[in-house]
Amino acid sequence: MTSYNLRTLVVGAVIAILVAGVISYFASANPDGLEKAQEELGVAGPAHSPVEVPAVAFQEYNLKWIGEGFWSNAVAGVVGAMAVLAILLGVGRLLVRSKAKAPGAAGT
Amino acid sequence: MHIASGFLSPPVWAGAAVVSAGALAASLALARRHLDDRRVPLMGVMGAFIFAAQMVNFPVLPGTSGHLGGGFLLGILLGAPLGIIVMASVLAVQSLLFQDGGIEALGANIFIMGVLPCLLGAAVRGLWLRPKPGAAAYAVTLIAGILAIVAGATGVILLLWLSDSLPRSISLVHALGLMGGIHAGIGVVEGVVSAAVVKFVLSTRRDAVLGPLGPDYAKGATQ
Repeated sequence: MTSYNLRTLVVGAVIAILVAGVISYFASANPDGLEKAQEELGVAGPAHSPVEVPAVAFQEYNLKWIGEGFWSNAVAGVVGAMAVLAILLGVGRLLVRSKAKAPGAAGT
Repeated sequence: MHIASGFLSPPVWAGAAVVSAGALAASLALARRHLDDRRVPLMGVMGAFIFAAQMVNFPVLPGTSGHLGGGFLLGILLGAPLGIIVMASVLAVQSLLFQDGGIEALGANIFIMGVLPCLLGAAVRGLWLRPKPGAAAYAVTLIAGILAIVAGATGVILLLWLSDSLPRSISLVHALGLMGGIHAGIGVVEGVVSAAVVKFVLSTRRDAVLGPLGPDYAKGATQ
């Protein structure tokens, strides 16, 4: 890991944590564009049978055991953002390594 | 703009899933050939940032909010293939951990908020890779940003309509107008935020933005 890559990771992660963990608490609670449009168009509810994904730890963007609140929202936001970061670093690493191994794929 | 569970009919969500799976597979194949170490951290932190930014709903019209899409921004910064991989990861985490977006609608949501805006972002990427992006880059980014969100909004209405999820009494044109109008406002924010983030990242990690997965590669201008 070169130092500039490490700096990108640290700076990027700090920005994401601040946005997901702090700023998001002050987000507008109004329905989003799609929800509002469905409301105005008179869409009553799902027309097909919905598939429920069991809530493992979070009820929407809050801890399911606590409900809405600053810290509950902060934990949800930070865990979600870090999960995305971890997945992408993992996928990226796998892709770069498989490139190095692939015959005939010498550099770009 | 996440389509919730139960709003798409099985043929529609299955069709969208096939299209998005194809786009994701093609993106992974391209990334496998061209991805290099410099770009992985940027990919990761941009994914985390877009997850975060999508939590921040801002008011658009009275009683209505919107949030950043992010796919358009990723298309500019990373090119379409890496952008699609990042958006698929963000949308999968939202759907699986936070019940945001139906699990069966994941393919449709990846198409609407990933494939479509990433391709549009990649189309204007070249303007930002010039030595000094000028007013044209900002103007085109604003317009294309609006277009990316409105195109997605149009796609959502068409998928809902195909799924018989709009009331019969509503005309398709009316639904498209309403959804498109709301999202034009969200699109302005998308365009402005995208330009600002691209400018910031270019000023700090230009080397990670340039790279062999975008229009720049075709022109041979990789560095």
